[in-house]
Amino acid sequence: MPQNVIPLPDDPRYMDLSYPEQGALTEEERNLDTLPPDQRELARKFWQAVKSDFRFNEYLRGCLNCGVCTSGCPAAKFYDYGPREMIQYMMRDAVDRIWEFVNKKVWACVQCYTCSMRCPFNNEIAGLIMLLREYAVQFALPSAKEILAPYRRVLYTVLTLGNQVTPDMIQPEAFPDWGPQAVEESKNMDVYRKAIPVDLLQRTDIGWHASLQTAVELMTIMFESGVMDAIKNVDPDLYDMVSDIYEERKSQLEEIREKWMNGELKEEDLPDSWLDL
Amino acid sequence: MPANRVLVIGAGPAGLSATKELQALGVDVVLVERESYLGGTPKKLKYSLLFPELRPASEVLDPLIKAGEAVKTRYMESIVDKVQQEGDNFVVTIKDKNGKTYTEKVGAIIAASGFEHFDSRRKYEYGYGIIPNIYNISDIEGMLSENRLVTTKGTPPKRVAILLCVGSRDATVGNTHCSRVCCAVSIKQAMEIKERIPDAVVHIYYMDIRTYGLMEDKLYWKAQLNYRVGFIRGRISEFMRGPNDTVVIKGEDTMNLNRALVVPYDMVILANGMELGLGSKQVAKVLGLEFEEHGFVRPMDPDRLPVLSTRKGVFLAGAITGPKTISDSITEGQAAAIKAYEYVSKGIWEEAPRKVAAEVVKH
Amino acid sequence: MQEEREIQKKLHEEIKQAFPYAEDVDWNEIYQRVIYRYSTPHGIAHVKEELEKLEEKGEIIVHHIKPYNNPVEAQTINGLPKKIPTTRLWQHKSCGQCGHIPGYPTSVFWIMNKLEIDYMDEPHQTSCTGWNYHASGASNPVALAGVYVRNMWRAYEIDYFPLIHCGTSFGHYKEIRNMIVLYPQIREKLRPIMRKLGMDIVVPEEVVHYSEWLFVMSKKAAQHKKYDVSNIRAAVHTPCHVYKLVPDDTIYDPNVWQGRRPAPPTGTVLNFGAKIVDYSTWWDCCGFGFRHILTEREFTRSFALFKKVIPAVEEGKADVFVTSDTGCVTTLDKSQWAGKAHGFNYNLPVLSDAQFAAILMGADPYKIGQIHWHATDVEGFLRKIGVPVDEYKEQFLQYLADLRAGNAQPEYLYKPHRKIDFYLALPDRVKWYKGEQAQKVS
Repeated sequence: MPQNVIPLPDDPRYMDLSYPEQGALTEEERNLDTLPPDQRELARKFWQAVKSDFRFNEYLRGCLNCGVCTSGCPAAKFYDYGPREMIQYMMRDAVDRIWEFVNKKVWACVQCYTCSMRCPFNNEIAGLIMLLREYAVQFALPSAKEILAPYRRVLYTVLTLGNQVTPDMIQPEAFPDWGPQAVEESKNMDVYRKAIPVDLLQRTDIGWHASLQTAVELMTIMFESGVMDAIKNVDPDLYDMVSDIYEERKSQLEEIREKWMNGELKEEDLPDSWLDL
Repeated sequence: MPANRVLVIGAGPAGLSATKELQALGVDVVLVERESYLGGTPKKLKYSLLFPELRPASEVLDPLIKAGEAVKTRYMESIVDKVQQEGDNFVVTIKDKNGKTYTEKVGAIIAASGFEHFDSRRKYEYGYGIIPNIYNISDIEGMLSENRLVTTKGTPPKRVAILLCVGSRDATVGNTHCSRVCCAVSIKQAMEIKERIPDAVVHIYYMDIRTYGLMEDKLYWKAQLNYRVGFIRGRISEFMRGPNDTVVIKGEDTMNLNRALVVPYDMVILANGMELGLGSKQVAKVLGLEFEEHGFVRPMDPDRLPVLSTRKGVFLAGAITGPKTISDSITEGQAAAIKAYEYVSKGIWEEAPRKVAAEVVKH
Repeated sequence: MQEEREIQKKLHEEIKQAFPYAEDVDWNEIYQRVIYRYSTPHGIAHVKEELEKLEEKGEIIVHHIKPYNNPVEAQTINGLPKKIPTTRLWQHKSCGQCGHIPGYPTSVFWIMNKLEIDYMDEPHQTSCTGWNYHASGASNPVALAGVYVRNMWRAYEIDYFPLIHCGTSFGHYKEIRNMIVLYPQIREKLRPIMRKLGMDIVVPEEVVHYSEWLFVMSKKAAQHKKYDVSNIRAAVHTPCHVYKLVPDDTIYDPNVWQGRRPAPPTGTVLNFGAKIVDYSTWWDCCGFGFRHILTEREFTRSFALFKKVIPAVEEGKADVFVTSDTGCVTTLDKSQWAGKAHGFNYNLPVLSDAQFAAILMGADPYKIGQIHWHATDVEGFLRKIGVPVDEYKEQFLQYLADLRAGNAQPEYLYKPHRKIDFYLALPDRVKWYKGEQAQKVS
């Protein structure tokens, strides 16, 4: 700063009286100051990453500020949340607001795609929400960790078996609001499953019994595509667990496949389910 | 030289105004109209008052219709079925509703077959035609001019919502243009409703109010100053069937963040915009004209030669080239008449100037 | 086909009415007055064109619908044709259905058996992982594409056309298909992964939801109807991921809501003879919310009850709620009981269209419909239409007791798989499974 310039008092009211020489910050920079100092750089990096995703410019097109998205939004009825809010922050590059949004509100969306279908500017709004969520996980943001914590078992099932849910997860204590039928169901789970007239559906610990090869192929996709790298940041224990399982299943599969190719495989020696290997 | 005879397609404000001028200039006119009456869409939909002067539509239309009635070679309930070039002239085949054909030889053609209102059924989440008491502005014009503005219950509406930009500025239905007149028409209707039902609550849901030019205070300000019409900034996402034949709107008051609105009304009016109708599409096809990106007919040069088409000897007037007010259409009818007159009497046909790309220097 | 001719006739009449005396009209334009136009940046026509180009270049293998899939042509929202294969189908099951509403897939299989449809249901399938993705974001486009293509490959290699059971899988796969077709960077990253699995990028010609299949088959299926439902008032919830995700690739029909709301499952219910009732919140979602159903159920419960069940009952006086997706059945069915705590005593039976159709066609509501997995009063509804529920229940309870005691063996809708099928995806599996029949077509 030149010597003859009076420094600006540290008071936002002086901002619009200032000259550039006095070191006034642009609005975007100033707003970033509302974030804790240790988060500013991360917020900026996060937003840069989202913006450079190949889908971003395709999904975010423009905004007439019409409110069609928010007015049809189920989540907006229950939470302090609205898709238009997000679109506006994105259009204005409001890093501080996006940061706030991604650390809380982004998880309110129920992914019904009503906003996307109706947006007169053809924004893929629910897709933008997914972009924010994807990068929240990749950046291992606290909000993503918080969201994923009660979700670990589901993730484990998805990553190792390719199924989202298991029949036996319906425990009365976890689903007290589902009433007496859920109690009955969990009590009779074994026989209920056995009474389903499809062999793949008769286990209680998996929605359908996928083949060992399928499970290994799925895990391969998850590792090769970088999903597991993201998991490593959010939930290292889960990562270790899945890695161990992957290695084990892979070698089991290789062994069985080799035996089969050499005509040495005796089907009767295999357990009924590879889950019991 | 082309024959001193001009075919005018469409007997709406633009076509009739062209007819009137051509007659005054001593040019023989052949008039073809699809409907059984003269006056075009304003007549068909029984327009009530015209903005911004709020005068009865008949006051403007009647003199034009009179000019149309004076045309001797007039084909009503007919369409142009074929056009063949014969030297400088066109041999036109006209077909009436019984399938009978007639041939006319003309030196020039003015295409003034106009627009069609957006079919609100295409915005399926608005439920037009499924949920009672949802109307188009075009339906309301008729109700106003016949002085029977009532809901399905037979009583005057006490709460009315008007939604702008239905089928305009909306990429989901493929219409990204502004239809220009709906803001003005809607505000005019709001005032007409308040005139009839002074204690009615009338809300206009808008994104932008485009009462451009001299209409700003005559409509937008006046509606608030004299009639207390409410303006709510937000587009409605969906209409729901409410109790007692009411309509419940789902909108957002976008002046406040995340403020969703769920409000019942007795009557909802959709300001459905303008599109090139099937009639004009057929005309354009028969005449071999080009379309521009919004689906309207492309003039030779929208700035310099707005009433010349891309085909020599064919002129354009009115909403065939884009959304227009009635006065714009009348003006264009007059302009097209003069250009057609120059063409048939002196053979003047200007070509579009070469397009020069503006030089842009990146800074 | 009679019905097709009728639709054609109706269209023709409307055209005549709209434009009585011109021969020289654009039929496409006229058509759009009957089916309603919707536009997106990358319309389905564009995606299909690109897909064709990629196939020509040899970048993508397209799994075509073959004549022996007996395709039926339906219409999308823009009036474009969508081919729905009706036989030789590969069952792409739903994780939520198989986990918690098993009567849903078994009803589909049962109907197919009844209509003598050739199908394969295999252990070589994973879920689409879309539920997890939409809930947590813990995935990425390449992984999602990989999961999709891997499943599609298994169907392609045995030449059975994939039929997607889950609404989310259907919507999600449509989106992923578009992404694979439109973005070379995804294909570049995807190809080495698929190669590693011994596969290539394969994309089916159409992404088809079972509810679309059921709709095009529903008139035929309804001929097997055992119970009269003409006095039944059915409210329909059409799943969001079926028609709001890639909206221009879902089928519509002029005879269903004037072509203004998706044809399935409403059209299926209509074809089975029930009355359809409208309710104000028809367009709303069910409240599933992907993560909400697991970890934020106060939202799910409230939304399902107040925005769906109560309007359907109070406005539509509905006897049954019919829907066509995993999450919707679960949400609408399980969210009603908790309302009792606040005096909202609603017990509106919730069924998938497949269960609804199968039970009407005479399927055992317990062994096939598996209605004991539902929390709402499905039994009451079945009594109303004359299903001898109590007899069925008695038999079923006996069956359960026998299974428990080891006095009965489980019954199957199709031949159980070999043990090896639970380990390896063997090339000979169809041959083993179908015998001579399989060799005839391939």
